[in-house]
Amino acid sequence: MATTVTSADGDGGEAERPGRAEGRGRAAGGRSVRTAGDRARPAARRTRYRCRQTAVAYLFLAPSLAFFAVFLLLPLLFAVLLSLSRWAGFDLADIRPAGVDNFAALFARGSSFLTPVLTNTLLYALGTVALALTGAVLVAHCITHLRFQGFWRTLYFLPIVTTVVAVGNVWKYMYEPGGLVNGVLNALGLRSVAFLQDPATALPSVVVVQAWASLGSAILILTAGLKAIPHVYYEAAELDGAGPFTVFTRITLPLLRPSLLFVCVTQFITGLQSFALIIVMTGEGGPGDATNVAALEMYQRAFTYGDWGSASAAALVLFVLILVITLAQLWLFRRKGADG
Amino acid sequence: MRRRRVLAGLAGAAVSAAGCGAPDRGGSGRPGDPIVLTLLSHYATDPLKSALQRVVDEWNAAHDRVHVRTTAVRFQDLLTTLMVRQAAGQGADIIHPYSLWAGQLAQAGVVRPAPPEDTARIERGFARPAVRAASVRGRPVGYPTEVQSYALYYNKRLLRAAGLAGPPRTWRELEEAAYRTARRDRHGNTLVQGFGLSRTDDSTVVNQTLALLASRGGSFLQPDGTRSALDSPAGRAVFALERRLIDRGASDPGIDLLKAFPAGRVAMAVSGAWWTGSLKQTMGRDYRDVGVAPVPGPAPGNRGTVTTGFLLGVNAKSRHPREAWEFLRWLNDEVVPAGPRAGRAAAVRATRMSVLQMSVGTMTGRTGDMRALLAAGGDPNLGPFVDALDYATPEPNGPRAQKAKALLRKNIEEMWTGRHPPDAAVRNAVRQVDQELSR
Repeated sequence: MATTVTSADGDGGEAERPGRAEGRGRAAGGRSVRTAGDRARPAARRTRYRCRQTAVAYLFLAPSLAFFAVFLLLPLLFAVLLSLSRWAGFDLADIRPAGVDNFAALFARGSSFLTPVLTNTLLYALGTVALALTGAVLVAHCITHLRFQGFWRTLYFLPIVTTVVAVGNVWKYMYEPGGLVNGVLNALGLRSVAFLQDPATALPSVVVVQAWASLGSAILILTAGLKAIPHVYYEAAELDGAGPFTVFTRITLPLLRPSLLFVCVTQFITGLQSFALIIVMTGEGGPGDATNVAALEMYQRAFTYGDWGSASAAALVLFVLILVITLAQLWLFRRKGADG
Repeated sequence: MRRRRVLAGLAGAAVSAAGCGAPDRGGSGRPGDPIVLTLLSHYATDPLKSALQRVVDEWNAAHDRVHVRTTAVRFQDLLTTLMVRQAAGQGADIIHPYSLWAGQLAQAGVVRPAPPEDTARIERGFARPAVRAASVRGRPVGYPTEVQSYALYYNKRLLRAAGLAGPPRTWRELEEAAYRTARRDRHGNTLVQGFGLSRTDDSTVVNQTLALLASRGGSFLQPDGTRSALDSPAGRAVFALERRLIDRGASDPGIDLLKAFPAGRVAMAVSGAWWTGSLKQTMGRDYRDVGVAPVPGPAPGNRGTVTTGFLLGVNAKSRHPREAWEFLRWLNDEVVPAGPRAGRAAAVRATRMSVLQMSVGTMTGRTGDMRALLAAGGDPNLGPFVDALDYATPEPNGPRAQKAKALLRKNIEEMWTGRHPPDAAVRNAVRQVDQELSR
């Protein structure tokens, strides 16, 4: 409460009028935390002290603020500028204003950005979240009932510490016509599947790998969430004769909602921004545009074709999309009481 | 003007703040130390890497004042590396881009026209398609150091086993040979492709189609490069031919052609001259089964293919352009004996780059050099490629050529995978390419 009073003084610029400040402090109940020395200190000295404190606070904040300014704010402003310009990426003097042409080109008839690129992006993120979340909930739930939980958590976390290039290449070879997965299918008497060569199966095939690779971090968070659920609820449910399914759906899942929200939001954002795994497994997002996603598209527009204007426009569209989806997720979970 | 300055200022602040403004400094800068020129190429693996390093070592041994340092990346990463390094102010002094990118790089101010002295040497010494491939708006931007034309590779053993005496000369013969040589197992896995279609990168996907298109008298773009010319009887016929080969089981684009052919699992494929060197190295003794013939046309005697290439040019941002051009002249224009490594070719004199290219199983656009080196014991499989330089069509290299090619590739793949019928894929490609070229 004392903080409230002092900041009101400072912000209102009324520190030179002690009577009024003290009156307001009393009204707010701040008297109890003020010492006699404070009251005796001259107002000017107190102001200097507060200024020094503020300066020190900003000094501590400065590295973070500078970091955000240089690596977040400036690039963001630069991206906005480029999205309204044409630029080949080399000579800053060659930036040419282009109005909203880049945005118009993205959504022009025949452009592949809306369909299939953005559609693929959403399907990729949605598929990854659905698979990873379902798998992680089940695995985390099972792990909490096992011995050597640390070992199992480590085992599932291993894909996280493996590089995307290694994961992508291994799975790519497994999916190949003569690879392990088709070998198993053939051994079962089934015909081979052209996993990455058929547009119908290419995107789901990569989604499975992305979900598998992100399972570890989700399990780690969810097991922590499961451990935080007080055991008394389970004891009460047991006394009431509730079955395992009821316990899981009526106790575990609702109380796990904050962890689920975190996993859901972060995985969705990761899914919407992903492209490294797709490059490794499918090269240019093929066959055709079957696995092309927004991040890959903007990477190619900028770094391959030297079209920084439309790449920045695509980046801003993706930014807005991620923002909207994240806000929608937060709103949805709030309605369900996740953060309550 | 003021608006541009403000834009440039804002952008400059952003980029400088991100620490991306520093240009590459050649050499230590201390008085008396040699100038170090950097050379970025895609010669990242042997035999290309060693061959280039040998000539660079030769230059460095003979020149105290200017040294050259090579760096290399895979071809698939070359354009991206070139663009990113240039944007970061770390562009190499001498660059070795694919000629398709020449227009894009010239528009972005990365390469500039060659000095008059070098222009004259280039126009005098190289075949016309090679010079056109290395030129932007009619002016060479570098030496056309490596030239590729496209021809039909075939596996003699597989054709013989199918009862065929020689390579096909027409599309009809090509189809028949493809169907007769193709084999699958009971699970539907391809054992042998009759005619291989590659999905490795834009070049391997598109150029095989464009070579077949040229053999029927068609082309990808109009002569001025501003619109697509694919929507023609020739364009539709090529797309339909490829679709038919896939539908009838003679082609399987899902299989990596660049691995399957050396393994003896592909009977025929259209590819560039560079492949001979690579095949020789990977196939060993089995290379004797490999033959090369001109790309078949619809009727006997039809001739046509595409030619592409690489150029060695000087970065517009280089601090030592004079020294860089001096090195390029030494490499591309000075005539030397073919050397002991060339065996019987030792008595032949050719430029260093021609000798280098021949030693790795590929070629330059100096047809005279190439014919002399071939006659003196070079790989006879290179013969059809050298002949093709006389009639091949150079790949258009306008400012949006790479993007147009990528769009064509996507539509070819859509057609291969059955998402679009051939005619629809042609129409779609034309619409997208025209839209891109009009920007």
